[in-house]
Amino acid sequence: MRTGVYLCQTGTGDLDAVNLHSVVSYAGNLPNVEMVKDLGTMPALNIETLAAEIRANDLQRVVIAGDSPGFFKPAFTTAMRNAGGDPSEVRLASFRQHGASFGIGTVRAKSVLACATFGVPYGLAAIPDTTATHPGTLVIGAGVAGIQASLEIADAGKQVFLVERTGTIGGHMAMFDKTFPTLDCAACILTPKMVAVGQHEMIDLMTYSEVEEVSGSPGDYTVKVRKKARRVDIRACVACHACMDACPQRAPSEFDSGIVERKAIYMPFPQAVPNVYLVDEQSCTYVQSDGAKCGVCAKKCPKGCIDLDQVDEIVELEVGNIILALGYDIYDARKIERYGYGVLPNVLTALEFERLTNASGPTSGKIVTKTKRFNKRTKTDEWVFDAEEGAAPASVAIIHCVGSRDANHNAYCSRVCCMYSLKFAHLVKEKLPDADCFEFYIDMRAFGKGYEEFADRIKAEGTFVVRGRTAKVTEQDGRMVIKGEDIVSDRMVDFPVDMVILAVGLVPARGAGELARLLGIQTDTDGWFSELDYNSDPTDTERGGIAVAGVCQGPKDIPDTVAQAAAVAAGALKSIAIGRGLDSRASVPLSEIEARAADLTRV
Amino acid sequence: MAIRANPKLITELEIYGAQDVSKCYHCGNCSATCPFSKEPYIFPRRSMRSLQMGLEAKLESDLEPWLCYYCGECSVECPRDAEPGETMMSLRRWLTARYDFTGISRLFYLSWKAELLAVIIVALIAGAGFLLYGFSQGNITQYNGPDAFLPASSIHIFDWTLAAVLLALLLTNCARMWWFTVGRDTKVHVPLSAYVRKIYLLPTHFFTQMRYARCEQKRPWAIHLVLMLSYVTMLILIMFFLAPMWSGPAVKWSVHVFGLAATAGLLVTTIIFLRKRLKKSEVQYQHSHETDWMFLVLLIVVAATGLVQFTLHRLGLGTAANINYVIHMMAVVPMLLLEVPFSKWSHMAYRPLAMYFADLKAEEMVSKAREAVGAPQAA
Repeated sequence: MRTGVYLCQTGTGDLDAVNLHSVVSYAGNLPNVEMVKDLGTMPALNIETLAAEIRANDLQRVVIAGDSPGFFKPAFTTAMRNAGGDPSEVRLASFRQHGASFGIGTVRAKSVLACATFGVPYGLAAIPDTTATHPGTLVIGAGVAGIQASLEIADAGKQVFLVERTGTIGGHMAMFDKTFPTLDCAACILTPKMVAVGQHEMIDLMTYSEVEEVSGSPGDYTVKVRKKARRVDIRACVACHACMDACPQRAPSEFDSGIVERKAIYMPFPQAVPNVYLVDEQSCTYVQSDGAKCGVCAKKCPKGCIDLDQVDEIVELEVGNIILALGYDIYDARKIERYGYGVLPNVLTALEFERLTNASGPTSGKIVTKTKRFNKRTKTDEWVFDAEEGAAPASVAIIHCVGSRDANHNAYCSRVCCMYSLKFAHLVKEKLPDADCFEFYIDMRAFGKGYEEFADRIKAEGTFVVRGRTAKVTEQDGRMVIKGEDIVSDRMVDFPVDMVILAVGLVPARGAGELARLLGIQTDTDGWFSELDYNSDPTDTERGGIAVAGVCQGPKDIPDTVAQAAAVAAGALKSIAIGRGLDSRASVPLSEIEARAADLTRV
Repeated sequence: MAIRANPKLITELEIYGAQDVSKCYHCGNCSATCPFSKEPYIFPRRSMRSLQMGLEAKLESDLEPWLCYYCGECSVECPRDAEPGETMMSLRRWLTARYDFTGISRLFYLSWKAELLAVIIVALIAGAGFLLYGFSQGNITQYNGPDAFLPASSIHIFDWTLAAVLLALLLTNCARMWWFTVGRDTKVHVPLSAYVRKIYLLPTHFFTQMRYARCEQKRPWAIHLVLMLSYVTMLILIMFFLAPMWSGPAVKWSVHVFGLAATAGLLVTTIIFLRKRLKKSEVQYQHSHETDWMFLVLLIVVAATGLVQFTLHRLGLGTAANINYVIHMMAVVPMLLLEVPFSKWSHMAYRPLAMYFADLKAEEMVSKAREAVGAPQAA
């Protein structure tokens, strides 16, 4: 088919990385190509001249090449029609659309152009060789993202291996009291999903386990998982708490963000999945003394399901796809000394307040300030939450952007803090209508559906919303004094409150960096996993068959996390459905593309 | 009343040193961190805001920049690296240029070449003048006595003439400062009695710099105080005790003890400041304007040649002492003539004045505010 190539640019500068001279001479040597013409940037196209040219060269196909060749297509289509040719044979070789703006620019541009002259879609000729996909999927992290992705895949009848580091699934969402902006009970949404995961026949749940090693290629990964010694038989334990009652050792409860203690043998929370106990080896006397002391729980267990000498077990899994749903940690508020977290008693982090206000929390949801109490064991005074003795705060200050949007800490916005802070104000007002509630913010980022309305509602409920971040929290007569500037009314803020809640930002989960190295994927400068393309491919990573969902890809709220988890499940199911592991990173050499394109024209 | 905004102001201030004003997102951390930021003078955020909006007239009438001593706390705490401390410093430079009616100050701040050229020209004229004068009536080998190259009595007359010129320039600029900040402010009227009642604030702030002492770090205040007191001691000695300092082998220690102490004070503090500016270890010394360097270099040259002068004089080396004296004057004259009214040195007048004016205005504003609204709502 006699083909003419026209090079037209729109002048966006997107082709700076492409050697256009090389592309033009390459085009001239392609089979079928009769003429090549470089029309430069934003050419004034004369349809009659073009038609005459098409007729003179007896062209059957015209290829417009350039950064955005579609811009020029109408003129060429008309010219082709006027010349008596087939208008559908005006083909586009869009360099920018196919990613020729970066280092691989020139070769990519040539590939795209070659395919266009053959009349073959670039995407068809450029799909790299792939391996057959193993139908199993590994999901790392069992927060709401991991749970959602697992259920989507398992409900489609495909095998899921769900690996979770802690003793229960649920993640941070299980700790929350309410969700914004609907004020739904978080547990009411999550626990049915947790139970579904626990009971699903297609989900192999591995709690208290960590991924140790990953090898293989897209579609065919071999993963080694360390199942840490739980020391309680999952199948036999009936959660009767006889062991916990007998256990003499205590440690801060992770689930209650450390505001209350748990035993060394414990269940993270009553609705935990799997609903069985586990032994924390750091605080267990038996484990720490190498079996010399204690061991009382094993003796008390009526089912005999406690094996304190159990050791870690390594299991090997074969999977086709890996989904990362690691979630996040909260920023360590101790790093910001001027807010006095860890020093002043009634300065709390957001997660601590979530547990405090949660009906299943240590105070049964009663919002109280801390009480000083003498600890007989450590012989020191300590501040504890006591539902009976603790006084209800008459005023609560919530400080936004703690550790976020700050050049000295994290430059990024953590996205959820404004909204959960507003939710806190509502919870305080709901439980303590007479309490004064202050929100100190820099910018109120109420960006989602119904969020702005939620912010308005909180303001209407009587919360004082003050623009200007607090600079300092100090103590005076047992109350927390906050200092800042009220920017709107141009006044200094300097008054005492009973409780300060720090809206701490999100940081990548502990171990996310090591996992990225283990998997050979990229993280951004802040440590979040890098997606392949921010706009068009927000779940895949540059390594095929490995995808990201939820906060581990960047801070996001629950609706966005769930949506991304479902999207990532669709990607995994696609690869299983077509039976190939998709490696988006591999590229096919130019000669191979030419051969394949020529091949495809014959079909 | 319409408010005129100058959108180019923020760019203009860049030359004065404020590079990062537009980064500010107004969280108010700086104002809350600053130990001086009290109503009605809340800064530095308000100044950042005025700059971003280009409120030239408002900034011109602001006293806030002079209330800041640049301890650097705000710049350290700033979540945006917007350098509020450096902005206040730049505003002081800009205000100095604004108060100066001759336009020379503005020229110096905008172009270091102009300042350097002016210093060199004045130095050369001074050097040539003293040499010509010396050769016309004295002997270069003679330092003292009737045939002295540069007799103390003549230098004394020169000093007082120079002082009169400087005082005239500085006072005019101070008057302009008063007009900008207090005089033309229609909202606050300061009664004459208040000016008299509070006049004690001027010498107090000048000699103790007690506000500076309220900064979290005390060392910068101490060093600054030593530098200032050394300078004032030296000024008094030169203006009133030049003859006894000059007198021949019989040493009048009462004068020389002060002179040496002041010289030592000047040398040590100048070296400390130079080192800090070179090392850039503290936030307030990280951004040095060309005028800062000029100021310190002239000061250290004056102090060093002064010390050499004393030594040569004591050793009885007449010719060397006379040559060194001319060099000394080549540094002293540009330093006094150019730096005092037009550049960094002017702050010794503006700063205490600003404290004085600020106190006067605050008294009026607070009493007015009390009439207008109740106390701010608090928990």
